[in-house]
Amino acid sequence: MARGVRPTGRTRGTLLALPATAFLVIVFAFPLVFLLILSFRPTNEYNETLDGFTLDQYVAIFTRDYMSSALLNSLQIAAFTTVACAVLAYPVAWILARSNASVLRTVTFLIVVSPLLTSVVVRSYGWRVILSANGPLNSTLMALGIIDEPVSMLLTQPVVLLTIIHVLLPFAIITLTTALRTIDGTLYRASESLGAGPVRTFVTVTLPLSLPGLLSGAMLVFALALGIYVTPLLVGGANQTLVGLRIYEQVMTLFNQPIGAAFSYVLLAISLVVIAAMTWISRRLEVKRG
Amino acid sequence: MARSRLRRRPSLSRVLSRAAAFVILLFLVAPLVVLIGSSFSATASVSFPPSGFSLRWYEYVFTSAQWRDSFLASGLLVLLVVPTVATLAALGGYAVVRGTFPGRGAVSAFLLSPLLIPEVMIGLGLLSSLQPLGIRGTVASMWIAHSLVCLPFAMRSVIIAVSGTDPRVELAAASLGASRVRVFLTVSLPMMAPGIVSGAVLATVVSLGEVAVSAFVSGPTTTTIPLRIFSAVQYQLDPSAAAASTILIVLSATAMVLLDRFSKVRIA
Repeated sequence: MARGVRPTGRTRGTLLALPATAFLVIVFAFPLVFLLILSFRPTNEYNETLDGFTLDQYVAIFTRDYMSSALLNSLQIAAFTTVACAVLAYPVAWILARSNASVLRTVTFLIVVSPLLTSVVVRSYGWRVILSANGPLNSTLMALGIIDEPVSMLLTQPVVLLTIIHVLLPFAIITLTTALRTIDGTLYRASESLGAGPVRTFVTVTLPLSLPGLLSGAMLVFALALGIYVTPLLVGGANQTLVGLRIYEQVMTLFNQPIGAAFSYVLLAISLVVIAAMTWISRRLEVKRG
Repeated sequence: MARSRLRRRPSLSRVLSRAAAFVILLFLVAPLVVLIGSSFSATASVSFPPSGFSLRWYEYVFTSAQWRDSFLASGLLVLLVVPTVATLAALGGYAVVRGTFPGRGAVSAFLLSPLLIPEVMIGLGLLSSLQPLGIRGTVASMWIAHSLVCLPFAMRSVIIAVSGTDPRVELAAASLGASRVRVFLTVSLPMMAPGIVSGAVLATVVSLGEVAVSAFVSGPTTTTIPLRIFSAVQYQLDPSAAAASTILIVLSATAMVLLDRFSKVRIA
């Protein structure tokens, strides 16, 4: 929009950008640098931080099973969550982007944003009620005769996975909706008039055109899933083998900040590598499309 | 002709897709419905469907000193965080879209970058930096933490709003002799106001629900509503946390409805 129409060649806006930049340097960049230094500091037997330099924390993360298994498990959970969110997002995003029924669209929109407006603790609490021994899920299953006595579902890994998907699905739906809205509607009619069925239209038209949006949603979901800890803690308990929980436990219960710091940096590195890979793929896709 | 008639009928795949969407939406809304329902329980157990109907847990939440402190803590933080975030986002968001300073792209990426960092890492970073300063657990530390978490959301909202305005309006004002400050205050600011408002509402909602970072820096005097629910759910489960959760849902929903009323900006 009228780009290049600038009053002068002088620099403008430096002063306006200053407060926010300074704020983030002080409360965000500086603490992260401090955390990096902390991750190389040795500790004594009381987990107190000492001066010096050590790689002990990083070695421990990759060699002690207690830590490395959490890393592997978190990666698997994040990958599974990302795929599940991508698949589950389509039918709902389709209604938001393409449905002509405005009531249906509004109700769908309200349901999709309602979890976003609700604290994760509130949502996790809701799941605890649903999944508890005398909760609605158990009583429904018993009424249907599928089970004879209440099954304890809380504190299990499948339930943790289910609730992580629940927390992150709205992000995938919203990003995908934006992508689906930009697809030219005549393409569907063209595909249909050339004889393609709905499945073929989806595979050859919808999917390729929405892939960049799908990938950007997937990046967000993956990054958020990798470090998640509040939801797993509330429905799965502190013993779930997840990186986020291990960091929380090491720092808040064992007061070992250096290992938490090292774990954070490993987590960040993995997440940045995956995000970079996904960005690369989506760039390639866009270049291919021209 | 017969063929096109056939196409108009809802196809099997369309029916399946709708059915899947229905199940997914049910999955999304279920925990909220169950939680709101169980907050009206007449007994001390959290169950759904609730056993009996009463408002006793709401009465408890409104009269208990602990919950009252939490409501005050959450309210105070919103009052501190939202103006802070709105100001930083309005100035910064405008600068990275309209500014012409070197490194503008890098600044823009930096201002949004906290979104890419795991919450647990932001929490630990703040904890390890604020603890030596002796302000961990104070209102100031929570103010900083919430402002940091909320800023990228507000920033994104302002950036989108400014990108959608026409710079020629500002040029026109400047050519008529208005100073830069006057152009910003009387032309730019009103044009991006919807973005600032929606950013402020997002900041309110995020601040009201924040737990992951707050858990690292909060103290006994700064136990916000979600933090108290967090510990209540971990240690004892009575419907008062469900009632407090319902109140929290209502507060956030009210903020969103106000946004919908007063601006044309949607988050999706």
